[in-house]
Amino acid sequence: MSINEYLKTALIALRLNVLRSVLTTLGIIIGVASVIVMSAIGSGASKQIQDQIASLGTNQLTIFPGSANVGGRRGGFGSAPPLTEKDLRAIRDGVSGVTAVSGRLNGNVTLVLGNANWSTRVQGVGSEIQEVQDWPVDKGRFFDAREASSGAKVAVIGATVARELFAGTDPLGSTVRLNNAPFQVIGVLSEKGQAGGQDQDDVVMVPISTARSRLVGRLGAPDQIGALLVKVDPRYSLADVQSDIERVLRERRRITADKENNFIIRNFAEILQTRNQASQTLGLLLAATAAISLVVGGIGIMNIMLVSVTERTREIGLRMAIGARGGDILGQFLTEAVLLCMVGGLIGLTIGAGVSFTLSKLLGWPMYISPVIVLVAIAASATVGVVFGFVPARRAAGLNPIDALRYE
Amino acid sequence: MTDATGAVPVVSARHLTKTYQLGEIAVHALREVSFDIHRGEFVAIMGPSGSGKSTLMNLIGALDTPTSGELSINGVAISTLDKDALAELRNRTLGFVFQQFNLLARTSALDNVKLPLAYSRDSAKQARGDELAAQRLTEVGLGNRMDHIPSQLSGGQQQRVAIARALVNSPSLILADEPTGALDSETSLEIMNLFHRLTENGMTVVLVTHEPDVAAHAKRLLRVRDGRIVEDRAVAEAPV
Repeated sequence: MSINEYLKTALIALRLNVLRSVLTTLGIIIGVASVIVMSAIGSGASKQIQDQIASLGTNQLTIFPGSANVGGRRGGFGSAPPLTEKDLRAIRDGVSGVTAVSGRLNGNVTLVLGNANWSTRVQGVGSEIQEVQDWPVDKGRFFDAREASSGAKVAVIGATVARELFAGTDPLGSTVRLNNAPFQVIGVLSEKGQAGGQDQDDVVMVPISTARSRLVGRLGAPDQIGALLVKVDPRYSLADVQSDIERVLRERRRITADKENNFIIRNFAEILQTRNQASQTLGLLLAATAAISLVVGGIGIMNIMLVSVTERTREIGLRMAIGARGGDILGQFLTEAVLLCMVGGLIGLTIGAGVSFTLSKLLGWPMYISPVIVLVAIAASATVGVVFGFVPARRAAGLNPIDALRYE
Repeated sequence: MTDATGAVPVVSARHLTKTYQLGEIAVHALREVSFDIHRGEFVAIMGPSGSGKSTLMNLIGALDTPTSGELSINGVAISTLDKDALAELRNRTLGFVFQQFNLLARTSALDNVKLPLAYSRDSAKQARGDELAAQRLTEVGLGNRMDHIPSQLSGGQQQRVAIARALVNSPSLILADEPTGALDSETSLEIMNLFHRLTENGMTVVLVTHEPDVAAHAKRLLRVRDGRIVEDRAVAEAPV
């Protein structure tokens, strides 16, 4: 019997009992729909995380003093000698593949404008920070290298600060007081959004030399840097550049071969990988949920197919009498089970997509239905049909035509 | 296994025996039965229930194989065939007509008649399915009812659809099991006349019945009792 005939026969059989067919596939429908919704939420979230990390820059290295070995309580953050401007120059001049490098000193500050004030993070940075972070100004300009090293009292503010403190008026050229020192606002950064639960736009950037002398209390060396941010040429291997920097810094900090680093180099690609692993684990959990709901749905299919075989015993007997082989009957019932599951899978897919879309509209959650999960859902439904349709189909094929014809 | 004229009989039984084992007891449904049925014959098999006539019909219908002895259909011994080969034999050489018609519900008369072709290995015949089925339906007088589903047809019409289905693959033998059991006497007469006409055109028909009135339409009567053929005679012309 041809596939066409199988499909035609299966369609007729399923149409004879529309309500029962729909109820039978309900398990598959709900299973597939919930898988689609969950995976849409899950991959939406992980896609958002990945986008954010990408916005931070993946070919970027961050270097700060300290020991990576935290578990052994060996010299935590800050106990190691600080990084300095000399380290920065050594990296810029001694490592190939570095396109931009900037120091950074972090602190907290209160901005005062007239009788308004706003507490925020202050970052003392070099002029190359824009290139390192791929973060351009929206209005005005960024401070140049000369201003960055000469202690100029200029500030570039983030979008949140501009909104909260200036409330619609143009901040460019106005003077704000940072810890009582007057600074001229020369630029407003473009909006960057949230990352890791922090508003990246709630920041004010000043030249690192100015921050060192006026805003962030003097600590240790006069040319101290909190952290070094390095942008790597994408044509170079991040790992190679990382090990070059490590070599230069070990040399400068006179670390002998038997000692461990007293600085940490962090790379965003690693963080991205960690996130990827997390989302893969999430994916596995979803697959497990999918498997369970599909198995439950499959048992429903098997149950109703067994009923159907019993009900249609005479029909099976007739088909055998007029020349159907065991294989023909097996194929017929298997086709019916697979068709039932596939239809259920497609309905589930539609419902799942609809629910995902509605949720994303109503709650503003990011949603992403990957084509892979769609294919997997359909393939899984078909597999359930084959696996759970097999026992009823084999029972039908194994019937004795004489008994089947006489069945009342 | 040829007769005096040299033609191979459609059905040939030699010492045909069928024994069922019911626990400890062996039930002898057929004991050493021998007969031949030739092309164009119209044979009625009669006997009370438990006589072995159903067993005989299952064997002639290639639905079962004998315990011993031999039954050949068109010269092919059925005990040499496996399940799939039996299915193919049924498809190519036999046409079944049942008491309860056994038509597929909510399926048009045309599609019901076409059904055996779906299991045929002959793709040329499959391709001409609609044409062949329409031709057979016209032959049984239902040329204007092809799109009707069984529930829209009378009992006699349904049985005629079943006969068209039995004929569609040009079989050597029509095997009818109580074909008039569910019909009134007038409709029964129509069906028997249809069988009569078929045999006059060279079709072989074997009819299993327990009604003497129905058996009287046949040209030859095989009476079965206790697993043996107790009577094998020609039926007088001009039936009731």
